[in-house]
Amino acid sequence: MTINPGSLDKANGAALASFLAAGIGAFATGAVVLLNEAGLFVSPTLYEPAGGVSGRTTLAALIWLIAWAVLHNRWKDRRVEPARVYAVTLTLIGLGVLFSFPPVWHLV
Amino acid sequence: MDTMLFTGRSIWTMIHGIVFGGGALMALAAALFSLHAMRAATVSDVAAQNQARYLARLMVFTAVLLWLTVLIGTYVNFPPYRATPPEGLTDLAQYPRSLIRSSPGTEWLHSFAMETKEHVPWIAAMLATAAAAVSVRYRSQLLSDRQLNRMATTLVSICLILVSFAAILGIFVNKVAPLE
Repeated sequence: MTINPGSLDKANGAALASFLAAGIGAFATGAVVLLNEAGLFVSPTLYEPAGGVSGRTTLAALIWLIAWAVLHNRWKDRRVEPARVYAVTLTLIGLGVLFSFPPVWHLV
Repeated sequence: MDTMLFTGRSIWTMIHGIVFGGGALMALAAALFSLHAMRAATVSDVAAQNQARYLARLMVFTAVLLWLTVLIGTYVNFPPYRATPPEGLTDLAQYPRSLIRSSPGTEWLHSFAMETKEHVPWIAAMLATAAAAVSVRYRSQLLSDRQLNRMATTLVSICLILVSFAAILGIFVNKVAPLE
């Protein structure tokens, strides 16, 4: 990804950080669920009445927020080439949604 | 007359599905329309600045509604749905998951519908939050910058599709085994 320092009014880094972090969060959600279903990773249950979903979704949300904070900190005042970030973001969202669908779990 | 028209569980289901979930769907549709209709080459005039401000408020409102829907769904509605019935109980009306799984014809409502609803709405809430954050920070630039506008529109579109799908699945589950 091409990253150039730019004037603040032209800087798009904060926007792209938000978008890419959402993609990472979506992917994390799907990945945590898929790994859980495959028996490779079990996230702790944070709220017993809700069961494992409380731990899985909280973990994914934490990954999303941490990714957002890191990306925002790095890109907020910069002009970032958007095309590639958009492509990566949409790919991550697609995979995250796909991994969250039960029929996919039976394939692993 | 001491018959309760709605139980607490039923009211929470309505708050989750109709008030917040339905509200989020309408807000998402409005946000999508606004992102498209308010696009402009220049946004220097006062009217355009106002439009950008209203859009930002709408996007934040949408994200808040979605998070309320997701959190209430996960932490208020889901626990009674998945509760385990006592051994030997034959009337499973108070235990929706067990009721659904007791029949091969409705088992998919848990294994596909509810399992999907457990996670996919969280993704939608993250996407809506990202779009809302951009609308607040960039305001009028979101309407004039073609690439930013296109990406925000794409995220809101994905969000609308995911939430619509989850809502339909929720209606199916609630039709067969309502939380009462």
